[in-house]
Amino acid sequence: DSTAGTPTDCTPCPCPEGTSCAVVPKTKEVVCTNCPTGTTGKRCELCDDGYFGDPTGQSRPASPCRACKCSDNIDPNAVGNCDRETGECLKCIYNTDGFFCDRCKDGFYGNALAANPADKCKACSCSPFGTVNRQTNCNQLTGKCPCLPHVTNRDCSACDPGFFNLQSGRGCEPCNCSAIGSTN
Amino acid sequence: PRPDVHPLPPGTHLLFAQSGKIEHVPLDGYNMKKNEAKAVLYLPDKVVIGVAYDCVDKVIFWTDITSPSISKASLHGGEPTTVISSDLESPEGIAIDHLGRTMFWTDSMQDRIEVASLDGRQRRVLINTGLVNPRAIIADPIRGYLYWTDWNRDAPKIETSYMDGSNRRVLVKDDLGLPNGLTLDPQTSLLCWADAGTLRVECMNPSVSNRKKVLEGIQYPFGITAYGSNLYYTDWQRQVDGGPVDSSTKKETDEFLPSKRSRLYGITIAYAQCPSGYNYCAVN
Repeated sequence: DSTAGTPTDCTPCPCPEGTSCAVVPKTKEVVCTNCPTGTTGKRCELCDDGYFGDPTGQSRPASPCRACKCSDNIDPNAVGNCDRETGECLKCIYNTDGFFCDRCKDGFYGNALAANPADKCKACSCSPFGTVNRQTNCNQLTGKCPCLPHVTNRDCSACDPGFFNLQSGRGCEPCNCSAIGSTN
Repeated sequence: PRPDVHPLPPGTHLLFAQSGKIEHVPLDGYNMKKNEAKAVLYLPDKVVIGVAYDCVDKVIFWTDITSPSISKASLHGGEPTTVISSDLESPEGIAIDHLGRTMFWTDSMQDRIEVASLDGRQRRVLINTGLVNPRAIIADPIRGYLYWTDWNRDAPKIETSYMDGSNRRVLVKDDLGLPNGLTLDPQTSLLCWADAGTLRVECMNPSVSNRKKVLEGIQYPFGITAYGSNLYYTDWQRQVDGGPVDSSTKKETDEFLPSKRSRLYGITIAYAQCPSGYNYCAVN
């Protein structure tokens, strides 16, 4: 308050060097008004949208605000792409998931880090008849669905040689063909 | 000038969001009184995306994505109050029907458009199909329409429906990129959008469909608002409050550069008086 007439009327802003502050009239609270790029908050202690870190070391070792690190699996036109403090990615695209959008989401497999979006994560598409408990998830990397007994193929869509009746939903049954009467 | 927090003086103002605050620029006619620009509200721990103004009670509404919520504060002074905080994930665009006393918003993670009365009650989902990245939303209570954008990179579109979500149809789908901003001038009923993909501002009369390019080669528009024949938009790259753009002369006539260099989001007009008109809901 520059009108009080005391030597301490004006005190330095509790903000990073050279930046301005203001007093909220109602609450008398001091807020920084011109935080450095990428930072915001009452004391420039938070990161802006699209950035993460802990610039003043509030709850972890101090780290400057950096752009969200989401393995190129976020859209720059989206808002709120990562948690401003931890950096956890919140809006993964291309069917990716995980803290850094670095793995395929459930029900998808492949390489989330592939350069071309078309090569990233593909749907498991497990065959409902051949898969244990009609599961829709597969191995994240290979895409192998968990097959019922004597069922084969990545997506559990066929019976092993010498077996039949995939549609049973209990696995494939042996053909039990007579070795003498069959052609092979 | 010493930044401060003040109730808005009388007159018409631009209100826009910059992550931890909502700022205003008074308008003198169509001119921005840039040296009188000030923060109206400090919300230091929030990231405000959408802003809307209730011209009846002189209240600002906004969406926040950090603790996903919709809040309001009176411009006569008064504490910010959270209106809705449950079952939201990424609320972005917000629009007010000042006649029906309702608000509409988009949520880009739930892929929904919802409505509630201005106190947050009587909440209802209006649209929950066929949305990928819904963002801007506009209400035209006098004619009874909603308009919204979806910046889905595979199939961006601008859609409309009645204010109850019925009679939904696509207005624009060709030659669109990232339609981030949308506005409607209540007097001329001209619908205009700002596109960060085509880098254009375009307008059309929704009932006639005479689409026109108003501005080309802009940088990265986010929000846009119409006032008379002028348009004002925010830009992520220039980090300025571009405009006003005179929608008849196709020229950018002025720009305002806030002192803090960070992204600007939603922008709206705080009218000195409500646009005239009434609708069915206002008398029911």
